[in-house]
Amino acid sequence: MFSGVKILKFSGHSYFRQRVALSLLSSLPIRIDDIRSDTDSPGLKDFEISLLQIAEKITNGTNIDISTSVVIKPGSLIGGKFYQACAVSRGLGYYLEFIISLAAFTKTTTNATLTGVTNNSLDIGVDRIRTVTLPLLKKFGIETGLELKILKRGAEPLGGGEVSLVFPPVKKINPLVYADPGYISKIRGIAYCTKVPAQTANRLVESARSVLNPYTPDVYIYTDVYKGKDSGNSPGFGILLVAESTTGGLFSSEITGSAGSSAEDIAKHCAAMLLAEIEKGGCVDSFHQWITLLFMTLCSQDVSKTVFGKLNKFTVQYLRDLKTFFNITFKLVPNNQNNTVNVSCVGIGYSNINKSIV
Amino acid sequence: MELNQANKAHRTSKAGASAKKKKIHQKGNNPKAFAMQSGTRASKMASRKLEKQEKKYHVPLVDRTPKIPPPVIVAVVGPPKTGKTTLIKSLIRRYAKHTLNEIKGPVTVVSSKKQRITFIEAPNDMNALIDIAKIADLVLLTIDASFGFEMETFEFLNILQTHGFPRVMGVLTFLDKFRDSKRLSNTKKRLKHRFWSEIYQGAKLFYLSGVINDRYPDQEILNLSRFISVMKFRPLIWHNSHPYVLSDRIEDISDREKITANPKSDRTVTFYGYLRGTNIKPGFQVHIPGAGDFSISEIESLADPCPFPSAQKKRLDEKQKLIYAPMSDVGGLIFDKDAVYINVPGNFSQNAKTLQDPDTESPQTNKIELGQGERMVMQLQNTDFIVPDQLTKSDIKLFSSSDPVNINSLNLNENNDTQRVRRPYNGVNSSISDDLSDGEDSSSSIDSDPTLGSSDGSDDEGIAYADTDSEYSFSSDDEQSGPSMSSDSRFADSFSFNRRISLMDLTNSKNSKNTKSDSIKEDLECEDSCRYSIKYENLDNWLTQDAFNSLKSKFLSTAFEDSTTKQEQEEDEYESETEENDYSEPSSESLDKILDGKNRKKNSKTKSSPSNQSPEESADENSGDNEEEEEDSELAKKKEMLKRRFDAQYDNKGINPDDSGNESAEGEDLYTLQKAEYQRQLDLNEAEFSNDSPEIREKVEGFLPGQYVRIKVENVPCELVEFFNPNYPIILGGLLPSETKFGFVNVRIKRHRWFAKILKTGNPLIFSLGWRRFQTIPTFALYDRIKTRMLKYTPEHMHCLATFYGPISAANTGFCCVQTVSKVSTNFRICATGVVLDNNQSTEIVKKLKLVGVPFKIHKNSAYIKNMFNSPLEVARFEGAQIRTVSGIRGQVKKAYKSPPGAFRATFEDKILMSDIVFLRAWYTIKPKKFYNPVTSLLLSDKNQWQGMRQIVEIRRDMGIKVPTSYNSHYKPISREQRRFNKLTVPKSLQAQLPYKSKPKMDKKQKKQSYLDKRAVVLEPHEKKIASLINELNLINREKSVKRKMKDIEQRTKLLKKHEQENQISENKVKKLRKEYFKKQGLAAANAAEKKKGR
Repeated sequence: MFSGVKILKFSGHSYFRQRVALSLLSSLPIRIDDIRSDTDSPGLKDFEISLLQIAEKITNGTNIDISTSVVIKPGSLIGGKFYQACAVSRGLGYYLEFIISLAAFTKTTTNATLTGVTNNSLDIGVDRIRTVTLPLLKKFGIETGLELKILKRGAEPLGGGEVSLVFPPVKKINPLVYADPGYISKIRGIAYCTKVPAQTANRLVESARSVLNPYTPDVYIYTDVYKGKDSGNSPGFGILLVAESTTGGLFSSEITGSAGSSAEDIAKHCAAMLLAEIEKGGCVDSFHQWITLLFMTLCSQDVSKTVFGKLNKFTVQYLRDLKTFFNITFKLVPNNQNNTVNVSCVGIGYSNINKSIV
Repeated sequence: MELNQANKAHRTSKAGASAKKKKIHQKGNNPKAFAMQSGTRASKMASRKLEKQEKKYHVPLVDRTPKIPPPVIVAVVGPPKTGKTTLIKSLIRRYAKHTLNEIKGPVTVVSSKKQRITFIEAPNDMNALIDIAKIADLVLLTIDASFGFEMETFEFLNILQTHGFPRVMGVLTFLDKFRDSKRLSNTKKRLKHRFWSEIYQGAKLFYLSGVINDRYPDQEILNLSRFISVMKFRPLIWHNSHPYVLSDRIEDISDREKITANPKSDRTVTFYGYLRGTNIKPGFQVHIPGAGDFSISEIESLADPCPFPSAQKKRLDEKQKLIYAPMSDVGGLIFDKDAVYINVPGNFSQNAKTLQDPDTESPQTNKIELGQGERMVMQLQNTDFIVPDQLTKSDIKLFSSSDPVNINSLNLNENNDTQRVRRPYNGVNSSISDDLSDGEDSSSSIDSDPTLGSSDGSDDEGIAYADTDSEYSFSSDDEQSGPSMSSDSRFADSFSFNRRISLMDLTNSKNSKNTKSDSIKEDLECEDSCRYSIKYENLDNWLTQDAFNSLKSKFLSTAFEDSTTKQEQEEDEYESETEENDYSEPSSESLDKILDGKNRKKNSKTKSSPSNQSPEESADENSGDNEEEEEDSELAKKKEMLKRRFDAQYDNKGINPDDSGNESAEGEDLYTLQKAEYQRQLDLNEAEFSNDSPEIREKVEGFLPGQYVRIKVENVPCELVEFFNPNYPIILGGLLPSETKFGFVNVRIKRHRWFAKILKTGNPLIFSLGWRRFQTIPTFALYDRIKTRMLKYTPEHMHCLATFYGPISAANTGFCCVQTVSKVSTNFRICATGVVLDNNQSTEIVKKLKLVGVPFKIHKNSAYIKNMFNSPLEVARFEGAQIRTVSGIRGQVKKAYKSPPGAFRATFEDKILMSDIVFLRAWYTIKPKKFYNPVTSLLLSDKNQWQGMRQIVEIRRDMGIKVPTSYNSHYKPISREQRRFNKLTVPKSLQAQLPYKSKPKMDKKQKKQSYLDKRAVVLEPHEKKIASLINELNLINREKSVKRKMKDIEQRTKLLKKHEQENQISENKVKKLRKEYFKKQGLAAANAAEKKKGR
């Protein structure tokens, strides 16, 4: 009778995270084979294990079978309060993005406390999630009660940071109609440092402003200096810049300082990256194309449309995975005038079936 | 009889009281009478009016009815022999001028320019009724007026209520059976009011009198059809969120060879029908109620078999009055994707007459000379060796002594079963009266021969994906970086308009491909990050002046700045105006400039991309402008620019063109705003893909409702095709991704008040939830804000919770339950209704568990308890648990004791007795049984004989098992021995310390004679004398006192008498005086009056 339940097969460890997330959302079982099978250390890495642990905590009845291949039989998303000590090989952004893609469809409010590395050079930093990702969700009607608190900062390699994410579930996602990029009206930023002189943050601010001030006078970069036990286990510093457009579009760039790099260079670099990001155009920056696509997919059976700058490789793969899991095709029309891509789709009519009415 | 009876005309009186009577309101109403009299009253009236208005509002729903709507499904439902078929035939005759011999399956007709109708007749089967309730837009409930309401009607209404109430119209038939007009009108009134109380006050009920020519009177049908045509349908939530198809034709297109090899092999079946509800795509999961879950392998949009008239005319032409009923054999041609079927009625068949339409049939057909081949075919049909015939004739002798068995004897029982007894509705506890049940035979033998299309498996490949390995690597890795303008053109070139499909194909190409490309990058360890995939090059370029110039237009503060080249600025303005439509109306003076810029832009576009505009180029063109004008306009422009910047920053509404709807609706209420919002989204839905090719639309949008589609489904059980019966609706209900999952569903349930029994936990029930019908075992429970406690039975008049294993469905979905779908009893069959509250993968239902033990050793406050547990391990689990004696002494489990095993030490707040029973109250988690059994009624040859798991009582009855009883559960007369307590003794030492008041007193009479009692007392002679003297004196004294008392009484009575006499005398005196006084007064008054008169 259950002829519909088919198992989706993938191979390779790449894009592991999004496939697990989409499996939990679509409740389709997946099997991922050949995970690093041709390397010296086959199988899942520590951060992927942490990810699966989060997946287990945020759901009820999920069956995860791990060997060189992973089989996931998804249960239902329940959310709730949980704590996870995440592997420090990846930043907390890696895990938070995973949780954010699921938490809107849980039974109860997700209240996750994660510990690990808050900012690194590989993953999206927690500041970016707080200032760009979560505000982006407002456009989909996810607004009230959304909160990310950075309790402690932890730089690479030892981490020691702690964040808490509160994400209340919603019943359904509103379609996104957001095709007007607007103009960049202001630039905000956060320069942070842990276990290094507080002056570093000020230096970051100075040099970032020097690049950005000609464009707009409305540049304000906060300094965020963590001291004592809130500053994690390793020294580090970095800067996040967010450009906000008149229509609420957010473009961001961030860099974490590595050993031997000067604060000024990093800030200038970051500012240049922000300008590069703005130049790409569109309504959503390159780092949030995937989450925009995800929520456009999961909205009611209405047309969503927006504009992307350029599709990056990650987005392209995300589109493919969305097609695999939800059988959705996006209409992508390149706009030759300003090198942007108009993206539109019809949502699949996903509703939060886990949410109870009592 | 005299036809024209002339009555005497009324004569108005011209004189007398009635003629004099004041004529009121001759000059219209008195305006003052209707003016506002009281402010309070007026405000009350106003608020009441507002309240009434507010009550009319419903939560706005999105109306997803497409531009070309699918036909409205009109289901004709009613008990057998109430005129359903006649009604459909009459209506079809009215719409299509076509008389159908028999109604099989859905019949679609074009009823007007803008409306099509699919008629469907509901067989008298619970399964079919449930399915029809889920898809119908309008229900015509036929009611036999001569009989009254039957149970089926009420059952169906209750099913409708749980699955979103579509429109319902009642149709009273058999009104010609009433001879007495008084009785007829009474019956009408009674039925109407009963109908109203079930639906709503004023629900439409039609009266169809007698049948003429197998049809209802034309005028009445015309009226009915008018009501149908003006009916408005409120979208049902379920229909708004699920695609569904009512299949009006099915074809088995599976490989013939495979079927001959294995007749029971799964089939590939195509279903045809109008798509309704929402969009659908291949790969969608569908549920066919009565068959199971399937996945769509292919969808094809076919030409509409029943299209609306193309040209807009005032009314329908005769030609446009189309009818489409593939199962009822109307219209000879059937177009398939790859074949056209021509239905040639009866050319090669002997039984041509029965198949042919009476309208087309001519008596000459049989007389036409047949060819030899034709005759041979006909003769073949004459053969006596037809297997079924033979079977009926042959008989088998099982034993030499027994009677031969033949098929008639075997079928005997079945025939008896099909006798239907009418189920009258007389309140709830209705019993059948024999004189009413006329025992009709409703066994309509329906020959189910699905026209098996012989079209070969049309396995069209999906649209072939472009082999885009090279393209892929180019596009994804070619990250644009820096303000290098040359690469822009390359990008633009590669994704020019005619290649936009390639971009979509690229992103949608299959996974297998990407793994290949991934393998190249496999060495990269941590690839699973979006940030990692974004690389920037030549970042230093961004710090230069060139970069500033190129990026300026993106910043609010610099975009409108008066830069060195006006050309550039104008261009920016133009761009912003045309693309973003930022500013509502450009001022007239800037308009020509914009136009100017437009032309120039066109020129420049041919040369290079707009951002590539060089300042020199524009400066040349700008040279011819007038200088004076320039100054004026420059100032104005500056002002305007500043204003725009301000607007852009602060007035967000002006910027977003999509909010224009909101802007206009500003100041209006939430309701209008919400409706406007829905409308805006619907407009966008329509507009977004309107210019795209059908292939793209199909891929992005899927198939839209209103289209006539052919849906191919593989692995369909062969029984669906083999036992196909067109009278039973086949529905393909689309399932949302989450609805294919299974888990525990928590529902709020209430036993139906008309169902005779209460429901028991552990008994299977058939749920109709979502599209599905399935049998499952619910566990009933109640939530008391602490725990969810299991119930053995549903409460009698209350909602309770129930948990069952089944398909997960969204909260607030309604459902109804029946115990059986096969049996027809006189009782009401819907046993419960409710809504889904919650889904989960685990449950939290508990039941009470009381562990009982007895003490075997008691110290002061601690005691040793045995018989509660069996091992020290069990005790360890319960250490610290609260325990209690029956008398209410509380305690705690402390530690296991060595022997007997399971014994433990416990402490109590007081010393307990050996006779006390100690118990531990615990909660035991119950897991509801994971039983899910879809009702596969469509897979049966006899559709209404589906047999699922039996009720417990049925199993017991069938197997002869008695209800298991435990001796301990028996109720026995409770005999409580009077408990005798020992006397309370206060120790002597304690007594000594007590104050006298608290000391126990020896109040009781002494039983033994005391020492004094035992002794006799003898008086001395002198003492004797004294004693006798005293006695005598006492006697005298007593006598004296008695005498005195008597005398006193006597004197007292005398005195009283005297007083009375005196009183009497004085009273008389007073009376006399008063009399005289009043006499005097009266006289005086009379005199005075007379005096007055005299004057």
